[in-house]
Amino acid sequence: MPDLQCIEIDSIDDVSVVKLKDAKVMAPAQVETLGDELLSLVESNSGGDGPQASANVLINFENVRFFSSGAINKLIVLEKRVRANGGQIRLSNMQPEVRDLFSYTNLDQMFDILSTQAEAIESFENN
Amino acid sequence: MPSKWKYDQQIASDPDLCAPIIAQLLDQLAIFGWSTKDSFAIHMAMEEVILNAIRHGNECRKGTFVHVTMELDDLQFSSTVSDEGTGFDPAEVPDPTDNANLDKCSGRGVMLIKHFVDEVTYNACGNSVTLSKTKQTS
Repeated sequence: MPDLQCIEIDSIDDVSVVKLKDAKVMAPAQVETLGDELLSLVESNSGGDGPQASANVLINFENVRFFSSGAINKLIVLEKRVRANGGQIRLSNMQPEVRDLFSYTNLDQMFDILSTQAEAIESFENN
Repeated sequence: MPSKWKYDQQIASDPDLCAPIIAQLLDQLAIFGWSTKDSFAIHMAMEEVILNAIRHGNECRKGTFVHVTMELDDLQFSSTVSDEGTGFDPAEVPDPTDNANLDKCSGRGVMLIKHFVDEVTYNACGNSVTLSKTKQTS
């Protein structure tokens, strides 16, 4: 996978763990890059000649202090693609303001949001 | 320190010009002692308003401009953002929190603007929005 500007990817217990690098996901070009990188993750999970990664994806928000509606839209697109691949998506480690953003918008009904990365990974195993 | 910060600029319809305005605003919010929570709310609302004007109002057309005014002191924030587009009716924007609309990518910005500030008013044709917020005292 080429160098990624916005995300770091790891694999833990058969879950693709994506850590968002930036504190603010706001500038339009940055939001577009984030969307492209997230979708490239799903595409690498869904085919190709290399080893298959898990269809399950966890997004770790530990570094994020601000998340725009444009960035939320990228997550929604990702969620649809992950679901189409037979996987599930979890979000974790949100700062209170970012967590509230998902509550205000009712998007916590679409996304399972866990306090910690460990809890999120465990929630996949329990499903 | 001045008792009030005022900003009044016409900016070209380039989405990349939003971030420097927000950076100035965040600096001033800190100088005037606004909390992290209030600053987050104003940041969120202003970014949405300015980007909506550039992208949806002016459709990023070269030669068009967005007029941004802001006033801030240690109690009150207010702003008016106007574009050159034909405007829209905010009442017609679907509710993004409705279960049927959760996975749609439109309308969330307008809803967030309303949520994060105390007052939002649009002019008659919907190409100019004025918003205000009072500092929370807790």
